[in-house]
Amino acid sequence: MRRDLICGPNFSGRSAALMALLHEQKFAPESFYVGPYSEAALSGLASTIADEIDLYRARSAGRVTFAPLDFAALGQRQPQTLSGGEQVLLALHCFSLSDFAGLAIDTALEQLDPQNRDAALAYLDPRNGQAAAVALIDNRLSSALPAWTRTERAAGAAEFACDPRSLVADLPRREAPAIAVRGLHFAYRRGRTIFRAVDLALAGGTAYRLAGPNGAGKTTLLKLLVGVLAPDAGEVLLGGARYRPWRTGNRAIALATQNPDHQWCGATLRDDMARRRSAFVHAAGPDGLSDVRAAALAAALGVRSLDAHLYELPLAARKRLSWLWPLSGALPWLMLDEPSIGQDAETRARLAAAIARITALGYGVMFVTHDDEFAGRIPHRVLAIGDGRIRAI
Amino acid sequence: MTPNGAFAVGFILVALGVSAPGPRGAAVLVLVGLAFALVEVRGATMVALRRAALVVVPLAAFMAVVWVGIVGRSPSQIAADAVGTRSAALAYVAAISGRLFFIVAVVQVVFLRFAALTPLGFVRALALPAAVKRVLVVTLSLIETLRHAIDRAHTALIAAGTLTRAASLRNIVHFWRLIQAVWLSAITIVLGRIRDKWPVENTLARLDRALVAGTPQLFAGRDLLWLLVVLAAAAILLAERIGGEP
Repeated sequence: MRRDLICGPNFSGRSAALMALLHEQKFAPESFYVGPYSEAALSGLASTIADEIDLYRARSAGRVTFAPLDFAALGQRQPQTLSGGEQVLLALHCFSLSDFAGLAIDTALEQLDPQNRDAALAYLDPRNGQAAAVALIDNRLSSALPAWTRTERAAGAAEFACDPRSLVADLPRREAPAIAVRGLHFAYRRGRTIFRAVDLALAGGTAYRLAGPNGAGKTTLLKLLVGVLAPDAGEVLLGGARYRPWRTGNRAIALATQNPDHQWCGATLRDDMARRRSAFVHAAGPDGLSDVRAAALAAALGVRSLDAHLYELPLAARKRLSWLWPLSGALPWLMLDEPSIGQDAETRARLAAAIARITALGYGVMFVTHDDEFAGRIPHRVLAIGDGRIRAI
Repeated sequence: MTPNGAFAVGFILVALGVSAPGPRGAAVLVLVGLAFALVEVRGATMVALRRAALVVVPLAAFMAVVWVGIVGRSPSQIAADAVGTRSAALAYVAAISGRLFFIVAVVQVVFLRFAALTPLGFVRALALPAAVKRVLVVTLSLIETLRHAIDRAHTALIAAGTLTRAASLRNIVHFWRLIQAVWLSAITIVLGRIRDKWPVENTLARLDRALVAGTPQLFAGRDLLWLLVVLAAAAILLAERIGGEP
């Protein structure tokens, strides 16, 4: 069966090429689509995981079921409560039970941990007798996949040219206060326990990579430290003083979310920056973040106007803009959740250099990634999350 | 019992509850409602009663403060321009609260009867035209979308320091920003779906196929039995009305 790997840098028209392929009747009469984030990976019509599966289940799918998780046990949960990677696994599970003759994946496999990613790629391997056409966009496949047709797209619009290194080039040094976590316990309501009596010491001027399988709690830890979630027990200290962001508000951490659209607090970048400025009026760095500087930083990330409507920009450009706030140096700690997803090799390398630089300036950095090559470019310590614990490696 | 039957029985019971029955009619209604709950949901009856109490008790307390504590007269006494008594006001609050409790409990019993079904399974089991079922599923999915959008907007605004997770003055001042962010999120979530995934997959056609699987019955034998019981209760209430009992 047909296998198409669509390669090329961002803005080279890969997603458009994928869509054009799907409209070719030669590819498949009907195809299942797994987009970059949950909005385009799951149907959005199901209130439970069992219903999502039910919606796609065919009487005779005629192929091997892909089930890296026990979805039957998770049946009553809402699909949106799964982690980003788990949602991709659910989408692939639904495809495997369906009678679609084609499958299209737009960068979604980048959200998977190495084990699940290998399992997904093995599942799609035509040598395993998978009777469906597959088209894939993936930024991390540096070597060709055997038996796949590779289509290379040429570099496209220069208007989104991006170099995150210039954001941090002139930043002054800043000593980030240490963060200490003691006896942290957290469980989702009607869900499993994520953390049990976790102790953690995070020093400024250091980059920490949160590692762990999909659904282990990496994003949950970031949300706890930012104050989006409140722990069931335990305490956090910032610079030795008690810090309860879930009660008093976040005042130290600039977060870039996995899906950039979970981050905006305005319709345009100008609105977004104005609101952040007003919220962090006492905490922001010495030079603040004026509109002039924000515009310069946005231009360095490939977006020329602060008045551009955020949701009208391409997804890859929105993802790049999501780095602006953390890399502006406004707050002493940066937390980046899968910052390199959907980005081509060159941009990933530049982003890694920017993160390494801001860490060397004394800022504290915590990042989540399944991309070993990207992480390898940043001097870092690994914090492994699993079984309710966090181990420093 | 079919979902259609449960809805029909529930609807009649609620209608009778709203019709301000007298003491004998109210007793009959409570008996029928209790029997319906105990037979159909057994142990979950307590869950239905507890949930109804959670809804009604705060309302009852508020009404008691207003009618008994502040006004000190029942509405009928006010209408008749008669001297009011707090005991009459209390009786009025008790009657209204009791009726509301009955209605909420019946609704809970109807839904608990099908708690084992997923929302899609429940809609599929309804004997309704396919277009109506599709509208029901899409409506339910919009509720989920709104919940997702609230979660997204909450994350964005807390991380940006605009809101706090705990109650705060900041949350009151910036509440409108949350509303704006929720609507922006909801719109973009829906657009994300209908621009890429749905046209490629023809997802709504898949939904139609999933909804028509199986042949739902309009009413089962057990439904008819319960319908007879509640119609008998309705006849008793009507007789009570015609008989002019208080």
